Amino acid sequence: MEVLERKPSTYDILRAHGVDRRTFLKFCTQSAAAIGLTSAMVPQLVAAMEKKPRIPVIWLHGLECTCCSESFIRSSHPIAQDIVLNLISLDYDDTLQAAAGFQVEEIRKKVMKDYKGEYILAVEGNAATNDNGVYCTIGGESFTNILLETAKDAKAIVAWGSCASNGCVQAAKPNPTGAKPVYKLITDKPVINVPGCPPIAEVMTGVLTYLLTFGELPELDRQGRPKMFYAQRIHDKCYRRAFFDAGMFVEAWDDEGAKKGWCLYKMGCRGPSTFNSCSTTKWNCGVSFPIQSGHGCIGCSEENFWDNGPFYQRLSNIPVPGIESTPDSIGKTLTVLSAAGIGAHLVSVVARKGVRNLTSNPEPEKSEPAENQNPENRGN
Amino acid sequence: MAMLIETKTPPLKPLGKKETEVIPQATKRHYVWQVPIRLTHWVNALAIPVLFFTGLFIATPFFSPTPGEAFERFTMGHMREFHFIFGYVLLLSIAVRVYWFFVGNNYARSGFPFFWKPSWYKAVIHQMIEYMHLERGYVNIGHNSLAGCSYAGFFALCGFEGVTGLALLGEGNPGGFWDRVLGWTTPLLGGSFRVHMWHHLAAWFIILIAMFHIYIVLYDSHLYKDGLVDSIISGEKHSIEGDKDANTWIS
Ligand code: SF4
Repeated sequence: MEVLERKPSTYDILRAHGVDRRTFLKFCTQSAAAIGLTSAMVPQLVAAMEKKPRIPVIWLHGLECTCCSESFIRSSHPIAQDIVLNLISLDYDDTLQAAAGFQVEEIRKKVMKDYKGEYILAVEGNAATNDNGVYCTIGGESFTNILLETAKDAKAIVAWGSCASNGCVQAAKPNPTGAKPVYKLITDKPVINVPGCPPIAEVMTGVLTYLLTFGELPELDRQGRPKMFYAQRIHDKCYRRAFFDAGMFVEAWDDEGAKKGWCLYKMGCRGPSTFNSCSTTKWNCGVSFPIQSGHGCIGCSEENFWDNGPFYQRLSNIPVPGIESTPDSIGKTLTVLSAAGIGAHLVSVVARKGVRNLTSNPEPEKSEPAENQNPENRGN
Repeated sequence: MAMLIETKTPPLKPLGKKETEVIPQATKRHYVWQVPIRLTHWVNALAIPVLFFTGLFIATPFFSPTPGEAFERFTMGHMREFHFIFGYVLLLSIAVRVYWFFVGNNYARSGFPFFWKPSWYKAVIHQMIEYMHLERGYVNIGHNSLAGCSYAGFFALCGFEGVTGLALLGEGNPGGFWDRVLGWTTPLLGGSFRVHMWHHLAAWFIILIAMFHIYIVLYDSHLYKDGLVDSIISGEKHSIEGDKDANTWIS
């Protein structure tokens, strides 16, 4: 896509495409609803689209599977086509664009120069840091360098998906490539984390719409995620929650509870510790989401979710150094060991008394160094 | 507020000293545990089993209500309710106890772990070996160093459970009080899911401490005849000649 020198607004572009004002206002209203604005805010959005030049966006792809792009192009409110062709000026996206090779890299450099400090850098995937980032190269340059270079003059960075936001599978243990999420590499720019594997399409387009409308970042939570989409847990909006509170759980994938749509907590559902909008916006134009289709949430938008497995059990492995155990197995083992220690102590006490009674010698010489004493025995 | 003054550690009894066959009945009486100490003890004794049981259920719902419709029952809901209520009760009790650490008598401070002092480590090891001799050692009126050590661990664990528990509770109400006050701790511990796991594991350590506590109190009380078990009801402990009445800061 060619960089336009006139910096036209979204409305200019739409008019050029033959869109009438009525359709334009409809589009604005839809977009406002998608990012959770009240109807009172629609005029503000209309004004922004009329006047503000379209935001130039450079969209980079690092270590990733492109599932974020796949999700993105399925957005329905607003549809991705509107975003890509009208709302933003997607100047560089090595997956979507027609140009190739050095031509493409030149476009990136040109945008960086022409829109210094104005363009948005959208990053899909993350960067390998081991061995000079050799595990991901584009046009002979390591992705790590490209990312750092492009981020330097960006206005803000949008980290698409769990890869860019928190590392995802390539950063899971043992992380052989040294993959690092964007916020760990770029600390001097605002980074919006939009986690999820992939993120919900409407969440992605919603974030972009917000950026364009207000020209500023949406309100972020402690982990840099837009509050409007990531403030609440899936569990707190889950339609199966009534079964959770009632204590009615699916115990096996084909049991009665599974057929009746009971809570998937015991099948490992991560809904209670996952912040995302799946249970509200759902997926594919609101058709369904994992829990609705009978599979527990795997917590794909949470940090370390690959290392918090197995996915199909609720009490999971905790990173106790050296061992991989659930809290309950560790607790039970320690309890048994301690009980054995206490038992040994008790047996020694009784045995010693027995010896004394038998000998009834005021000075029994039998000294029984207590074995198996647990050094953790506590005083009064 | 009492000053935190530390006195010299009394000389330790030589190890392996044999006692005579007949253990003399302790005679001297001391008023050791003041009312808030005894009260918080029993509140803790009530709250911890309730919290542990409901906590295990919340993590792994090990029984299901009889079949029926969801609107008729609230099993998990009640378990969580009880867990939260008793969590607050335990925290309140701990807060009172910590307050009493400062304003109570010297026994309320006894056994404080001076972990930065080598003499404290010596005292702890000495007390461990004492208990392995299976004989009456000297009684500490107040907490001995090993007891103080385990209670410090207990309070640290309760503090950890309190912080993680309230942070998790706050997740249900984003932007609410606990979320704003303690929500920042969750990312430090590796995210919400891991905090659940750590919270769960720490609970087991509290149970371990409770196990040792009950056993050693019964053992101590039986062998030393110092009225230790009764003392948490009456507040009084007994001693004989040669016992250590460490009515001072470190004891
Ligand atoms: S299915 Fe998962 S998210 Fe839904 S109520 Fe059960 S545990 Fe919570």
